[in-house]
Amino acid sequence: MGSSKKHKEKEKDRDPEDRHREHKKHRHKDRDKEKDREREKRKRSRSRERSSRGTERDRSGKAEKSNAEPRVKKEKLDPAFEDKSEPGPKSAGGDASLSIEETNKLRAKLGLKPLDLNENKKETGTKEEPLVAETINPVHIKQQAEIREKLAALKEKRLLNKKLGKVKALGDEEPWLDDTAAWVERSRKLAKEKELAEKRAKLLEEMDEEFGVSNLVEQEFAQEKRDSYGSRHLKGLKVQHKMDSFREGETVVLTLQDKGVLEEKEDVLVNVGLVDKERAEKNVELKKKKPDYKPYEEEESVDDMLVLKPKSVLSKYDEEIEGEKKKSFRLSSGGFVGGERERELQAIRENLHNQAQSLDMPSLSLATEYYTPQEMVGFKKTKRKVKKIRKKERAGDLLIDDTRSTDFGSRSRGRGRRQDEEEGAEPGYVALETSSKPRDVLQQSDDIRMADMEISDEEDFVSPEPTAFEEDEAEQELQKQLEKQRKLRQKQMLKDSGERVAEHMKQMETAEDDDNDPDKRNNIVFNATSEFCRTLGDIPTYGLSGNREDQEDIMDFEKDVEKEGGEQSDSDMDDNVGWSTVNLDEEKVTADFSTASTTILDEEPIVNSGLSAALLLCKNKGLLDTQMLKVARVKNPKPVLANDNYCIEDKMNIDDKYSRREEYRGFTQDFKEKDHYKPDVKIEYVDESGRKLTPKEAFRQLSHRFHGKGSGKMKTERRMKKLEEEALLKKMSSSDTPLGTVALLQEKQKSQKTPYIVLSGSGKSMNANTITK
Amino acid sequence: MFSRCWFTASACGCKRNASEFLREQTAEKAEMIEVVCNDRLGKKVRVKCNQEDTIGDLKKLIAAQTGTRWDKIVLKKWYTIFKDHVSLGDYEIHDGMNLELYYQ
Repeated sequence: MGSSKKHKEKEKDRDPEDRHREHKKHRHKDRDKEKDREREKRKRSRSRERSSRGTERDRSGKAEKSNAEPRVKKEKLDPAFEDKSEPGPKSAGGDASLSIEETNKLRAKLGLKPLDLNENKKETGTKEEPLVAETINPVHIKQQAEIREKLAALKEKRLLNKKLGKVKALGDEEPWLDDTAAWVERSRKLAKEKELAEKRAKLLEEMDEEFGVSNLVEQEFAQEKRDSYGSRHLKGLKVQHKMDSFREGETVVLTLQDKGVLEEKEDVLVNVGLVDKERAEKNVELKKKKPDYKPYEEEESVDDMLVLKPKSVLSKYDEEIEGEKKKSFRLSSGGFVGGERERELQAIRENLHNQAQSLDMPSLSLATEYYTPQEMVGFKKTKRKVKKIRKKERAGDLLIDDTRSTDFGSRSRGRGRRQDEEEGAEPGYVALETSSKPRDVLQQSDDIRMADMEISDEEDFVSPEPTAFEEDEAEQELQKQLEKQRKLRQKQMLKDSGERVAEHMKQMETAEDDDNDPDKRNNIVFNATSEFCRTLGDIPTYGLSGNREDQEDIMDFEKDVEKEGGEQSDSDMDDNVGWSTVNLDEEKVTADFSTASTTILDEEPIVNSGLSAALLLCKNKGLLDTQMLKVARVKNPKPVLANDNYCIEDKMNIDDKYSRREEYRGFTQDFKEKDHYKPDVKIEYVDESGRKLTPKEAFRQLSHRFHGKGSGKMKTERRMKKLEEEALLKKMSSSDTPLGTVALLQEKQKSQKTPYIVLSGSGKSMNANTITK
Repeated sequence: MFSRCWFTASACGCKRNASEFLREQTAEKAEMIEVVCNDRLGKKVRVKCNQEDTIGDLKKLIAAQTGTRWDKIVLKKWYTIFKDHVSLGDYEIHDGMNLELYYQ
């Protein structure tokens, strides 16, 4: 409200000005409505100050809205405009506003009470004619308030007293307490009243009897007493407890459960204590806070007792939704309840449960690494075969026993027999055998003997005669040797290849008979490649690689023969072309064999040894030129130019055909004849004095001649200086200083004829003392 | 309260004295006031109503003048939303106050 006062202040100050300004304002804005209203206002009488203030405020508000800040304070205060009775639309800003009558109509339509027009304002008067209002006396007002309070308090007291007035206080006097007469009187009064009351009652009863009501009333009362129930009335009543909760021998009083008055359900008997107990138990269960979510609970299952649990969703809410299910049982006739049925059911369930098979698999357990004692009982130990290890026989013994027969009846005696036969045929070679025998014997070990024994067991059952073990190895060796010999002889005799073939055929036929010598079988290999090669002709390098065992053996044998007998089988030379020379120089032979063997038939080197071998092969086959040829590089005489139109104009006149003719256009090449001519060229340049020039100086000389002018002054001076220095350097003696001091000294000596020279200065001055300055 | 009005009366020096002022105060309780409701979108309405009227009644009056439905109107002052069941006097809405008119 303070602000409004400020407004009023300003209003008073600027009243006349504002009016004018406001007029102008309105004109500028061109609001016809405004003008009309203003005219109306002017016409009207002056309004109350209150309304004026209100309008002023409105206008100020409007002014704020419509105008800039400085104009805010200017309010049109013309009281002539204002009229409370008809405020009308006072819009300076085009506001929609209804008049009071209109508003009242609207309010009536809406159901609101009409505008409460304040009448008091008229008393207060307007600004221009302010009425002197009554002075507010705060003291007076206070007093009034106090009085009001007092009055209110008194009123309350009165009411209270009225209420409480009826109660007799202790201090109150009763006439009959003290005075006997009064008391007697009182008692008489009471007695009279009693009598009167009795009379009245009698009268009433008589009246009742008249109407025959009393009998009925009596009957009713009597019936109520008689209507206590018997045990037969208990049939079928429901007891809302579990049967288990009643123990034998105890008496439990059951009462009817509360139910609504209008409910027509049947009666239910409960025991109050049990009900409370059950509730307590339920609360305890809830307090335990068992989790609602059971992730592994089966949705639909059949319990142990074959109770089907149906599939339920959010089973925890079932109680809330459907209501608590309470277990109950019914009383049978006479109020008895057996429970036999329940027990029967329970027994059946137990039976079924026992019979049922559990679907659980036997629990998984770690497999033990060791047998349990139970399993060990059935565990049989297998017997091991005892191997007899024969003790080694010493070589010395064997040697001694060499001569006597060691044939202890081995099964391979058959072999032994043959051995004898062959020995007879070729006595010459027995020495070899025997000599080889002890060697073999020495080498043998027990294992080999065992092996031999086994082999002999397999092969020869024809004549099981015991022979010495050591002979088997020797036998084999012998057989080998004999074979070699035989082959050699055969070859000597059979020069025809055809006969050789026949021989091979024979050998093949007899192959099956001869079991004793497995080596023999291996030697004759008849395959396509070898046959083809045979048809090629005598292979010059056959057997040189050493693949051919027989050849080798024969070779070895030959060597041995040569060594011992000193024989030379020239015939062999002729036959076996591949043998370049059979001479004492074995190394050469072996070398030749090795080199020659790499040709033709040998494909293997390529596979095994890689690129080098392949190259070798190629070389052998003549695919490669092993000789390094110098390939003359042929250059293209005309360089390929990017631009064909590009050409360099020669200084010379190229158009001259003769000059062109002389031009050499072919490609040039080094002379082949002069390939090996590599001269050692040394070009020396000398200057005018005969000094050898360095390449730099030589070039300088050349360029001087070319350009036709030499170096300038400085350059030549420098060059001269350099030359002089060089000359001096040359002149310089090695033994002497450049200035020739030694020579001078020597001359001086000569002239002085003394072997010494006195340096300048007196001898005295050249003491040790004087030297150090 | 009384002391205050004494003081203010003397301070501002206006001709109306404290008693007048008081009377004014007390008199205004069931008085007709004119409230300005501005939409800031072009709708500006001046509504005459009683101090005792509720905001809901005021809204109805506004609706009659603006042409919208009264339950679509929201009257605010900055962020204070005026509730329908409270009277203007309780909200201390006096004559000439500007209310912000919004719609919901």
